[in-house]
Amino acid sequence: MSAKQLAVVLCGVLLFTSCAFAQNCSQKQASQADKDLWNTHGCWQAFFLWEYQAYDMRSSDWANRGWNDACNNVMEYPKHWNAAYLVTYGLADNWQFSFHGTADYRGTAERWGNNYHDSIYHTPVDNNGIFGAWVYHFFGSNEVQTSCPLYDPNVAPNANPGSRGGDFQHEGWHGWMDKYNYSNGSCSGHRCGPTGNCTVSNCDYFYFHGIGAYAFGAMWQNDGTAKRFHSPNQVQVEYLCDVAQFPQSWVPASVRQAAQADANTRAAQRFINGPGYSCGDPRPW
Amino acid sequence: MSLRSSRIVAAGLWFLTALSLIAYGQQPPPKATESAGPAPESIIRSHKLHQAPALTGTGAAAQESVQHFIDWASASYASESEDVYKALSAARENRAIAEAFCEEASRSVMSDYSRTLVTLGLLGAMKSPVGSECLVKFLHRPFPTQGTVIDGEVVEQTAMGMLQAKAIDGLAFLRSPDADKEIFWAVREHPSRVVRAEAINAYLWNHGDSAEAKATLGRYVRPDEKIFLDRVRRGDGEGAKQFNPKLDAFLKEHPDSVAPNPVKGTTDRKGEGSKANPNPPTLETR
Repeated sequence: MSAKQLAVVLCGVLLFTSCAFAQNCSQKQASQADKDLWNTHGCWQAFFLWEYQAYDMRSSDWANRGWNDACNNVMEYPKHWNAAYLVTYGLADNWQFSFHGTADYRGTAERWGNNYHDSIYHTPVDNNGIFGAWVYHFFGSNEVQTSCPLYDPNVAPNANPGSRGGDFQHEGWHGWMDKYNYSNGSCSGHRCGPTGNCTVSNCDYFYFHGIGAYAFGAMWQNDGTAKRFHSPNQVQVEYLCDVAQFPQSWVPASVRQAAQADANTRAAQRFINGPGYSCGDPRPW
Repeated sequence: MSLRSSRIVAAGLWFLTALSLIAYGQQPPPKATESAGPAPESIIRSHKLHQAPALTGTGAAAQESVQHFIDWASASYASESEDVYKALSAARENRAIAEAFCEEASRSVMSDYSRTLVTLGLLGAMKSPVGSECLVKFLHRPFPTQGTVIDGEVVEQTAMGMLQAKAIDGLAFLRSPDADKEIFWAVREHPSRVVRAEAINAYLWNHGDSAEAKATLGRYVRPDEKIFLDRVRRGDGEGAKQFNPKLDAFLKEHPDSVAPNPVKGTTDRKGEGSKANPNPPTLETR
């Protein structure tokens, strides 16, 4: 059997899912928002050397995606840690204004088993049909996948650091659902749609809460009722709103505006009892 | 399963676990080809606030000036927002500048959504006649009918909807009868729910969220989208004091917006214990 035939057999039998999307996403361009955020840290090496451990990222998964070229901001691994940089340092954490704090968003996105989820690791996938996914593993850590539409600005508007970090929250929250044994529906971990005021196929409820309802670090809490609960899309919207409205002073306008647009779009389309909150004044600038 | 088989399975599992641990332990860390640059603290401290570049010139000079301005504005801090308005206001009568913004919005739309979003925001903030015409044209760009489907949404539609919603923000900001006609059209006719929702939001905000504005919009809004007239907004600078009473009032008026209680799953996995991540490197910018 030739090497090529062997590869085909392997592809068909062993590695169907990964081979089905074997073509890498384009890594030729960074969005304006990615470049602007990047320029605020200028490729901080101490950070990415922390981040790959904090997010449990492995060279075998991220090879050819900038693992060995971690300051090349058109590649996927640098874009991943650019988004993690925003999660880690980008929020103002003002309890009178923010929905949640950095402790919550970091706890949801990072690897270790904690109040937010059991341990997770982050991988890239080449699939234009998803933003990301949370994958349960019987052995070892569960997996948070992020895909092309979060990295390639030619594919989707979500290829910006705010939206990417928002997806870390979304997928991480599926891990929360798993940890606390809640069923959020049978359509990729969501209620099947369109239904109610949700116009897409993967729908959630919005569990409205006021500002200050959760102390920072307490977003994981629930009381088993709708009064104290979050859904994946809701956590994502609240993160995006906090980035858009109450970031650190140095977070660039392009990052804030892309986060605001994503939050408002998601809030209008993805909630059965929606719309969710709208974020920020609709001023053009 | 016999005792012997159990042992074989256990040994196999142990072997696989050990193998994966060894493999993971050997994972090399990421690396950069460049040497380390300055720390972010010094980059942030060196950012010169309130240094908006001038918007001047005609022809190629105007194009260059606009590109430079977009780069600056896109990276600007929140505290520089008024500088953006001031610079745009000074250039309001310069047709070439407005046209250059318009061209950039069209050029970048296929390649970089976040640059287009920023450019449309600048056009809206400029409040120039040429810029406003451009926003109207952008609002009426053909809406995609097909493309990549994610979660049941066509991404190309969502992207265009998000950008056209930004154009709406600029048009509503004009607070003129002609621009408002476009808003009313969008509230009733636009194919994207994202744009219709933003048209309602922007019109209300630009009219002080008054009862009169709500009544006016009530004539255009689709029957199944009336909830958007009462949608809760966390406005700029709004904290618990302003936001929470609005939310309470909304939920009182719309009890059907309260989600039902969550549903327990059928599995009952025992979760892991907690472990805190090691702290990230310190960033002292506050």
